[in-house]
Amino acid sequence: MAQMICLQRWKWMHLDAFSHYAFMSATCSNQYGLMDGLLEELEIQQLHSVSQSTIYLLRTWSLSLYTIPRQIKCFIIVGAVASANGSALAKIGCTTMLAAVKLEVMTPKLESPDEGCIAIDFHMPPICSPLVRPGRPAEAAPVITKQLTDIILSSGMIDLKELSLVSGKAAWLAYLDIYCLDADGSLFDAALLSAVAAFSHLQIPVVSLNDNGRIVLISEENSGAMWEKEPVNKEKRKLKLDTLPFSLTCALHKNYILADPSAEEESIMETYLTVVLDSSLQLVSLNKPGGPGLAQTSAIQDCVALTIKRVKELQKMLNEAISDMEVD
Amino acid sequence: MAGKISNTPATYTPSPTSQNKKRPSIVTGSDWVRPDGRGLHQCRPAFLRTGAVNSASGSAYAEFGNTKVIVSVFGPRESKKAMMYSDIGRLNCNVSYTSFATPIRGQASDSKDLSSMLHKALEGAIILESFPKTTVDVFALVLESGGSDLPVVISCASLALSDAGIRLYDIVASVSMSCLGMNLVIDPVSEEESYQDGNLMITCMPSRNEVTQMTVTGEWSTPKIHEAMQICLDACTKLGMIMRSCLKEAVSAPEE
Repeated sequence: MAQMICLQRWKWMHLDAFSHYAFMSATCSNQYGLMDGLLEELEIQQLHSVSQSTIYLLRTWSLSLYTIPRQIKCFIIVGAVASANGSALAKIGCTTMLAAVKLEVMTPKLESPDEGCIAIDFHMPPICSPLVRPGRPAEAAPVITKQLTDIILSSGMIDLKELSLVSGKAAWLAYLDIYCLDADGSLFDAALLSAVAAFSHLQIPVVSLNDNGRIVLISEENSGAMWEKEPVNKEKRKLKLDTLPFSLTCALHKNYILADPSAEEESIMETYLTVVLDSSLQLVSLNKPGGPGLAQTSAIQDCVALTIKRVKELQKMLNEAISDMEVD
Repeated sequence: MAGKISNTPATYTPSPTSQNKKRPSIVTGSDWVRPDGRGLHQCRPAFLRTGAVNSASGSAYAEFGNTKVIVSVFGPRESKKAMMYSDIGRLNCNVSYTSFATPIRGQASDSKDLSSMLHKALEGAIILESFPKTTVDVFALVLESGGSDLPVVISCASLALSDAGIRLYDIVASVSMSCLGMNLVIDPVSEEESYQDGNLMITCMPSRNEVTQMTVTGEWSTPKIHEAMQICLDACTKLGMIMRSCLKEAVSAPEE
């Protein structure tokens, strides 16, 4: 009759929020003077739902007033979606993003006959947050889509000529879809990380041009047997990525800078600043979307310094994730 | 997607050279050999986990072979102002597919119809009187569609409801069966679903031995339906036990 087996697969590292706070309390230095000041601000902003003890343990403060991002809870898994050409799952704190790249064939534009194209779309499905309703796209979604498109195309990460197949006739269109599975602040950072990881994992399949002028996939079984047409590319290859962009969002609140805010923190902070650097630590983008807080030059410099540290960590994490995948 | 067509040119997915669209003749004749080597009455191994989404009141992740689904439950929360007063709770369901769920991009199969079927399957199991005037939202996202999507969504949704603490008469387990010529195969994969003659899906509450939803499509003879129902109910009971053990693990596991 019917048999059922229960398996343990595809590890979900769901670290509880309180474990994070407990860790931070263990490393908390005695900066309660500074904490009190912030605490008053937060109380004035009526944070009734968050207990005082949680706020105390929220961050460690160094003398120069900047804080540590949620580094202990980041991880990346590449190759999460088997049916896509490249995919990655990135989790920063509780914010989870699933990115997948699917390649389709298109006719290249007349002005650029040997360049492919990338179409980026960021979705916030209703599962990710109580604020998103089905049928009504979230406010943040098109904003992040536009930001991601700008950054990925302008950072020079991908040379579009790599996506060309037959000059003037066929080229790849890479559809990058990023789904937010859990929204807990710093959506753009996690989305960019998952997009970069998905492109790092992307493998272009072997195809050939058949008689009708259409591109067809060559499956592995046929490779030994006769080839009707010369394949367009000899073997599955990965994209050559130039420099990878990584970002960090910092919330600015009066004199304080909070790196990598969670959703709760974002809701009370006045404004935030997103810095995007590439792996050679060149500035790709700096975005401060209005807000009442004015960012002094010193604050901006502090944010950039934080981002530099972050870029190094994320780069290392991404390399580890990719090498883990290749070992498998 | 409609807005994009004006900007991006028409695209197609390169399909493999040796694509066999015709149904293999073996199906109509003797025994069907399943692509993943299972027995005809053997379901796929199930991986279930609650608490997948932190922002939701309750959530669950289910993986049955290649079918991967996340369900989040929000609520009970305030109904829309436009709704009339109701002394029992309301249930609102939505099922959506990611664009990479199917091998061909953007080919979400009948997802509007699935939302209403999920609603009907869960309605009978929830104690709506326990949350009057409010609404419970159940949202499902199919990450990858590997066949038999709706039963997986329903089972996962009932786990998510339990995780959210919504009162249920019993957990709801669901299994579907395909009729391929003379063979009855349980828990079909996408390939088998594309060749099927008929499909039977049962959603039941195992401990109470009650069926909340049964959908039969295609060609079936009465004795076949009886046989299929029996096999499915048996599978639902086993799935129910696995779901219970998953919930127990989630509760008894020490907080990391």
